[in-house]
Amino acid sequence: MFWPRWGVMSVTLSELSLRNAKRQARDYLVYFVTVVMAAALLYSFNGLVFSQEIITLSKGISVLPLMIVLASVVVVCVFGWLVAYATRFMLLRRGRELGLYLLIGLENRQLARLFFLENLAVGGCALVLGTALGGLLYQAFRAIVLALFGQPYAFSFGFSLPALGLTVLYFALIYLFALRRSRKYIRRANIHDLIYVDRANEGMVIQTGTVRRWMFSFSIVLGVAGTCLLMAGGAILGVIGAGCVIAFLFGFFLSFASGVPAFFDRRPARKYRGQSLLVFRTLTAKLATMGVLMATISMIFTATLISEGSGLVFRGLFAGRAAESACFDLYIGAAGDGPVSRDYFDFIQDNISVERELHYCVYQAEDSRVMDYVERMGEDYHRYFDRDPVLRYSDYAALRAIAGYPPVELKPGEYLIHCRAYLEKHLTGYTQPISLGGASLIPGGVHAEHLLQNYDTGNGARYILVVPDEAAEGLPVFHHAYAAKTAQPVAESQFDLLCDINYRLGEQNLLEPSYDEIHTRASEKAEEAAQTVLVVFPLFYLALALTMTAATILTIQQLSETERYRQQFQLLQKLGMDRREMAKALGRQFTIYYVLPAVPPVLIGIPFILHLSRAPEPGVMVGMNSPGAIAAISLGIFFLIYAIYILLAYTSLRRNVLPQ
Amino acid sequence: MLQVQNIEKYYGSKNNVTKALDRVSFDVEAGEFLAIMGASGSGKTTLLNCISTIDTISAGEILLDGVSIAGLSEGELAKFRRERLGFVFQDFNLLDTLTIEENIGLALSLNHQDPGTVQNRVREVAGKLGITDVLTKFPYQVSGGQKQRTAVARAMVAGQSLLLADEPTGALDSKASKNLLEIMTAMNRGLGATILMVTHDAYSASYAKRVLFLKDGRVFNELLRGERGRPVFYHEILDVLAALGGDVSDVI
Repeated sequence: MFWPRWGVMSVTLSELSLRNAKRQARDYLVYFVTVVMAAALLYSFNGLVFSQEIITLSKGISVLPLMIVLASVVVVCVFGWLVAYATRFMLLRRGRELGLYLLIGLENRQLARLFFLENLAVGGCALVLGTALGGLLYQAFRAIVLALFGQPYAFSFGFSLPALGLTVLYFALIYLFALRRSRKYIRRANIHDLIYVDRANEGMVIQTGTVRRWMFSFSIVLGVAGTCLLMAGGAILGVIGAGCVIAFLFGFFLSFASGVPAFFDRRPARKYRGQSLLVFRTLTAKLATMGVLMATISMIFTATLISEGSGLVFRGLFAGRAAESACFDLYIGAAGDGPVSRDYFDFIQDNISVERELHYCVYQAEDSRVMDYVERMGEDYHRYFDRDPVLRYSDYAALRAIAGYPPVELKPGEYLIHCRAYLEKHLTGYTQPISLGGASLIPGGVHAEHLLQNYDTGNGARYILVVPDEAAEGLPVFHHAYAAKTAQPVAESQFDLLCDINYRLGEQNLLEPSYDEIHTRASEKAEEAAQTVLVVFPLFYLALALTMTAATILTIQQLSETERYRQQFQLLQKLGMDRREMAKALGRQFTIYYVLPAVPPVLIGIPFILHLSRAPEPGVMVGMNSPGAIAAISLGIFFLIYAIYILLAYTSLRRNVLPQ
Repeated sequence: MLQVQNIEKYYGSKNNVTKALDRVSFDVEAGEFLAIMGASGSGKTTLLNCISTIDTISAGEILLDGVSIAGLSEGELAKFRRERLGFVFQDFNLLDTLTIEENIGLALSLNHQDPGTVQNRVREVAGKLGITDVLTKFPYQVSGGQKQRTAVARAMVAGQSLLLADEPTGALDSKASKNLLEIMTAMNRGLGATILMVTHDAYSASYAKRVLFLKDGRVFNELLRGERGRPVFYHEILDVLAALGGDVSDVI
């Protein structure tokens, strides 16, 4: 075993590595913190996988472990790439030091082992710290999930051995993948390559103007086409669109980085204006060799924005649908025009404690004038019926009481409209009277609370006309319905038994099975919570891992130049540049460096998110879930995390490179 | 001790080949102090890198005590570097994280010496090089001259028989340069160390017993000091450099 030691002088190669690691802590602290956060994320999500408390909350989330493991596989690949990149980067930065070890007699395999153990130690520390942090993060996730299911939360810091085991396995995979490449490199490296690594030629950049311009133009076309294809939807078009977007990002960054010097060379006046020369030369020196990396980072940011946006769209969709469907403790809408089956009521009488209930009908008006008006308003409106749906005022008042809404008044000779929120602005402007049984009723107001109006056997076709009881006399029935307020929430098992009755009744008509509409507040909320946990959690998990990875790589690239920037600014100080100007130049250069890879993702991601959030049925994506709000929140979350890294890098660089 | 036989070194790709060394041959006797001079790009550092196994040769052979270093396995090469070779760089190449004492002792520890021996050897060499007072300091706390003497101490502490120095005075002021060169001369004379020094400074080269002049990758001339005094040898070196075609001011 290779562990040379001379006790008197108390330094071993392992201690030497530790000192090297400490010395580099300033430049690579951001990387270390990210690896700690990676461990914390993996552990906390693994905690959800192995939590019996969470898994048994609802049948709906029984597949949660599978979803999280699938997301974790992608996250492990992403973090694996980060660790591999950062390890390789540090390896090259330390080439001279490692070459010196070889020169004084260390063998390649010994050096490879030293580097391997050094990185494994860093990974081990990150794992320990991350697991501790992950325990707290798990509590946060647990609190969110319990809140979604309406369960009480009490802090209980526990330690999950299976979650730790899985986290260790993931970390082992990440580090074995990352270090295998470095090990291979060191074992094959010769002293000359290592010692003179800083003198290696820069990577090839595209020099030919024609090729560059062609590539730039073509990539823009591909970018636009790819975004359109992504928005068009469908598996095949989506894959082609994603391919076009990837090709655009690589084409754009490869041609852009080499095109900037050419741009300034043709415009010397711009080059020498203000601090342009300094900012552009510092940037192009970096970008010219970072074209592929910038494209990769941009690709990751695009995936991040799309993940975050999709997560928010799904959350809004689930919440929007549930809010409408969960307005009654129990609702049964009969299919066809017959009454609600006696079988349900027998079951309810035996099993469910009802505080208040209503058996009622939804009627058909004599014409469809309101429906025609809604259609003319241009909203995406699906016409369920041929005539306007109608509700008696007494039933409406009882329904409001069951749903817990304040009472509303209907004056003689008037009618009310109750509609989905998104139609309210149109229907408030509807001033026409309606005729029922020869009587004319004038508008008396519009109300828009949730009233289960999203199904054809619900309370109307996204709107319903509320008329005096006598005006509804003799109107044909659309369907019968039952709504109830229960003493306790209807349990999942009770809901399942009601559904069994529904299925049995539906199958009785062999020629044309028809099923009633059954909704309970508890089952709707549980379904919303389960769908949110199953879809939104993994998407945000992925988005967080992607943002952290890309921002870390940008930051270590920037901070690794600290010494060079410091020398540069010292020289500029000698040449007469004052500190304020230097800070300004640094700020400008910093802004361009961090904004550039974020521009294409915003241009691609935002149209995609807007398009996706318009896909669900009308009336679901409203308020904080409206397309604009979702796009803004997605950008907000993305830039919030990104800003943390930018701020860390900027404060560190400003402190270390600007002369005092 | 060292035989360099018709070595050649090419750089670059198939379409753009640069010949850095062109059939260079010479011998170095044990205990000799040899300087290699030449203008920038003449191939002197490449030659030193090839001898020190930092770089590989394209053709020819380098024999150390009759053994070809090209034929050594990875393990034998590492052993060769640990036990036989000491290298001094222009920019010192000390590890910032180690004290002066630890920098010197690092090579010995790789040789699996026992801790007591390591410390004694480090103290002994440091005493000879006049850096005992700074042993507990870190490289950034000492002067350039002290750093370079530390590098020389590291190169000699394991009893290495061949000291290779690449522009060892390049980053030092004249006083520190003189001091270092006198120490190297004393090591050569007193301890019998074989020294191969690459320099473009005629003053530094005048401390050697023999000077090889390289031009365009070839040995252009050779100058033996013999019994002459150092100032006389210095002027002879300048004469050769003038004949070499370079601007004298470039190499002083």
